[in-house]
Amino acid sequence: MTFSIIARCPKTRRLGLGIATFSIAAGGRCEGIRHGVGICKTQAYINRGNDLLALQMLEQGSSPVAVMKFLEAGDPDHEFRQIAIIDREGNACAHTGSGPRRWAGHHVGDGFVAFGNVLAGPYVIDGIVKGFLANPKDELEFRLLAALEAGRDAGGQVGQEGHLPERSAALYVASEPDHPDIDARVDLHPEAVSELRRVLEEFKLYEVFYRERGHRPDRAMSQGEFVATLPKR
Amino acid sequence: MTYTILGRCARTGRLGIGIATFSITVGRYARSVRSMTGVVISQAFPNENNNQIALRLLDQGFSAKATLEHLKTNDAFYTYRQIGVIDRTGSAVGYTGPAVRGWCGEVVGENYVASGNGLVGQHVVEAIAKGFLAEPDADLEHRLLMGIEAGRDAGGQGTADLHRTERSAALLVHSRDPYPDIDLRVDLHEKAVDELRRVWTEYKQYEGYYRRRGEHPRGAPSQESFMAALQRAQ
Repeated sequence: MTFSIIARCPKTRRLGLGIATFSIAAGGRCEGIRHGVGICKTQAYINRGNDLLALQMLEQGSSPVAVMKFLEAGDPDHEFRQIAIIDREGNACAHTGSGPRRWAGHHVGDGFVAFGNVLAGPYVIDGIVKGFLANPKDELEFRLLAALEAGRDAGGQVGQEGHLPERSAALYVASEPDHPDIDARVDLHPEAVSELRRVLEEFKLYEVFYRERGHRPDRAMSQGEFVATLPKR
Repeated sequence: MTYTILGRCARTGRLGIGIATFSITVGRYARSVRSMTGVVISQAFPNENNNQIALRLLDQGFSAKATLEHLKTNDAFYTYRQIGVIDRTGSAVGYTGPAVRGWCGEVVGENYVASGNGLVGQHVVEAIAKGFLAEPDADLEHRLLMGIEAGRDAGGQGTADLHRTERSAALLVHSRDPYPDIDLRVDLHEKAVDELRRVWTEYKQYEGYYRRRGEHPRGAPSQESFMAALQRAQ
């Protein structure tokens, strides 16, 4: 029970991942994204070693299709995984085994993959794709968030006893080697996707201030002074 | 303004960080643990690259002290940083530059660094160390959280006139695997340390279930069934 999107921005080559799920603290299980290398995200029944192994192979120059074959060969429970992979050039592939609970599926697009399991139906994936493609000029983090919101609005997750809320959600965008660009998390909340928008929008207000006070601390104002410059709400 | 505990479990070699601050999404700046290698933090006016640079140095085998020396040589604004480093042997060092604002400093011992800036006083970092050391046989994540909560209870961030709340907090522990063992975050909340305790308490119930269903998917119960069993047990 999860819906996700991984994508590469063709203009900036930034790589990003958005995820929302009924499980808690999902952002703590998303280590498979690396600037200049690619993204691998395993979900449904997670083989925790998969994503980092896939990144190592992508770094060595293997294609996503080759990486997927390797993961399949090395995992007796491959049929229980849902896996999406993108490389640094935007080549993408996905696997939804027969093990993940229904409805489960994926859509591989040009430079992105929308995928999920225990969903209301295929229209959730259609919603994610539509949300992601709606404003291609937006920053990648907002396109990813729009995709998650569209997945939620299309019905999101439905388990054995009906609709399941998103209890955790995360956004991660990589564009530099030593620190993430965007790394926003909601680990436990009754409406995690809505809360994720609140966190992202707040972070965007501080993003440049936080970066610049590290680069040029000699010119930095205090955070109290900075907060006073923000629009009153 | 931030307060932090870096810790290493002497029993297991697990490494982790607990951090709380007025700034938002602090976990973004604290992805600073590498399994069986070390834990570091660069805060106050953080150099965003420092954490990964330090982890690479530790990975090459440099000691905590040598790593800190390198960060000094490597940084034109070193005096604005507050840095903590623990290496895989448990050797720990801390540094607070003279340009860091508010009350700032650290308590350093074997296997831990309690540090902070923009705090109400020295007693905050002393309380953090005490909280961390209170139950040496407990799981590292529990000890880190105890450290952070003790810092909050000692007054946390601010001055005599103005208290600053914790708006974000994070707890990250690595064991032997290349990925984290515990990775929990509160990015924007009016009482982030309280909320981190809530998230951790909830997560602890699911931790084993999440691991097992990935390792043994055949016949794994659904999350709804698992939760129903949890409820029956309570």
